[in-house]
Amino acid sequence: MSALRGLVVQSEVVHAIFLRETRTRFGQYRMGYVWAIADPAIVILTIAAFLALVDRPTPFGMDVYSFIATGIIPYKLFASSAQQVGEAVNGNRALLFYPRVLPVDLAIARWLFELATYTTVFVVLMGLHALYEQRLLVDEPLFVLLGLTLASLLGTGMGLVFCTLGVLSRTADRARGPLLRPLFWISGIFFTVASLPPHVRPLAGLNPVIHCTELVRAGWFESYEATYVDLAYLAVWVIALLAIGLVMERRVRRKIEVT
Amino acid sequence: MIRLEDITKVYATKRGLHTVLDGVSFEVPLGTSMGIMGKNGAGKSTLLRIIGGAEMPTSGTVTRGSRVSFPIGFTGAFHGSLTGEENCRFAARIYGQELTRVVAETRAFADIGAYFYNPVSTYSTGMRARLAFGLSMSIDFDVYLIDEVTAVGDRRFKKKCQAALKERAAHGSLIVISHSVATLKQLCDKCAVLDQGKLQVCASVDEASKLYAA
Repeated sequence: MSALRGLVVQSEVVHAIFLRETRTRFGQYRMGYVWAIADPAIVILTIAAFLALVDRPTPFGMDVYSFIATGIIPYKLFASSAQQVGEAVNGNRALLFYPRVLPVDLAIARWLFELATYTTVFVVLMGLHALYEQRLLVDEPLFVLLGLTLASLLGTGMGLVFCTLGVLSRTADRARGPLLRPLFWISGIFFTVASLPPHVRPLAGLNPVIHCTELVRAGWFESYEATYVDLAYLAVWVIALLAIGLVMERRVRRKIEVT
Repeated sequence: MIRLEDITKVYATKRGLHTVLDGVSFEVPLGTSMGIMGKNGAGKSTLLRIIGGAEMPTSGTVTRGSRVSFPIGFTGAFHGSLTGEENCRFAARIYGQELTRVVAETRAFADIGAYFYNPVSTYSTGMRARLAFGLSMSIDFDVYLIDEVTAVGDRRFKKKCQAALKERAAHGSLIVISHSVATLKQLCDKCAVLDQGKLQVCASVDEASKLYAA
């Protein structure tokens, strides 16, 4: 099979899995896909309402709603990609029965699904806010886009590593949740790096996810700059995780037992 | 055309390595069909998955000169919460086939009435098998891998399956796993016996069944 023909087959397969995911993930509920948007919206509204009630000042004149939304959406995009891609093989093992379907196809389809979902979430939630405020000012739209894309790739790389490790060891599967969950508190959803004490900032910057949230915030708010974003550091994480994950996928491909 | 060269498959079990296939080689040119006999657990289904490419051999090479089906007779690849129609559309998309044609042909062949539009989780085993077989017949393959498919369904459906398979065998190839000598005789030119990881190919089904009985 030529490389081009292989690419056509793979895109057919990914397309089919993608469409199937929309049915199996949300198809059986009333209002289906609305839940994909309602889920993060409820989290954002709850936290924003709480912060507004306790009257906690938000840094750099950001409004509470946008501050939380620009933090939580890139984080959720990361975390959800890591979780969904991490379970790509376990959740769709039966599909590997079709010889045309490879584990990497399951991962690609889920990555695209999460990226599409959370991009929609971002547009809808920020759009509603803009309608309410009758004003929409985006400082650097490309930074926002870059932050979201890198968050999804980081999550996908991490998910792929966990997913392939999970084929070899059930312990790795079990460890994914406990290892990733604490990131919720240290990824800059509730704070900006600039608002941390100076000696903590380099430490906070070790967490690659925080660079994504900082990028999105710096792109969204005119008053906030990407001073603490280290793109090279983030890129190394993304490239290394994806490379390890893809190499591992080739190694374990023949080890997955379908039935 | 299908060619297997020195295929070995080793599984790790709790009690050490278990060799399921030990240097299996054979060739099935297009237009001819081969049966495979063997005890339960001899590795017949594993061999079929390796031929199809769903599983990789530990060593050795598989050459596929034509479009090879997924192993037919297994229904686990259906998603329970999706309808029969949705499952068909998924398989048709994977194989780049025309959706409306595959759906129409599968519905006609499976003949399960309105259940075609119900979730597969509501199906009986027989209905699942009907859907699976109808689906594999509507996708355009050259080589069909069949795993005991004729063991399911009522007599009329069995007859329909055999007729459809015979028609495919005329242009393409079948590789058939079965315990039924009658079925193998109807569908296959030659037949192999799989025992303790070794595959012995015989020129006729009778010869193979004698070897198998021995």
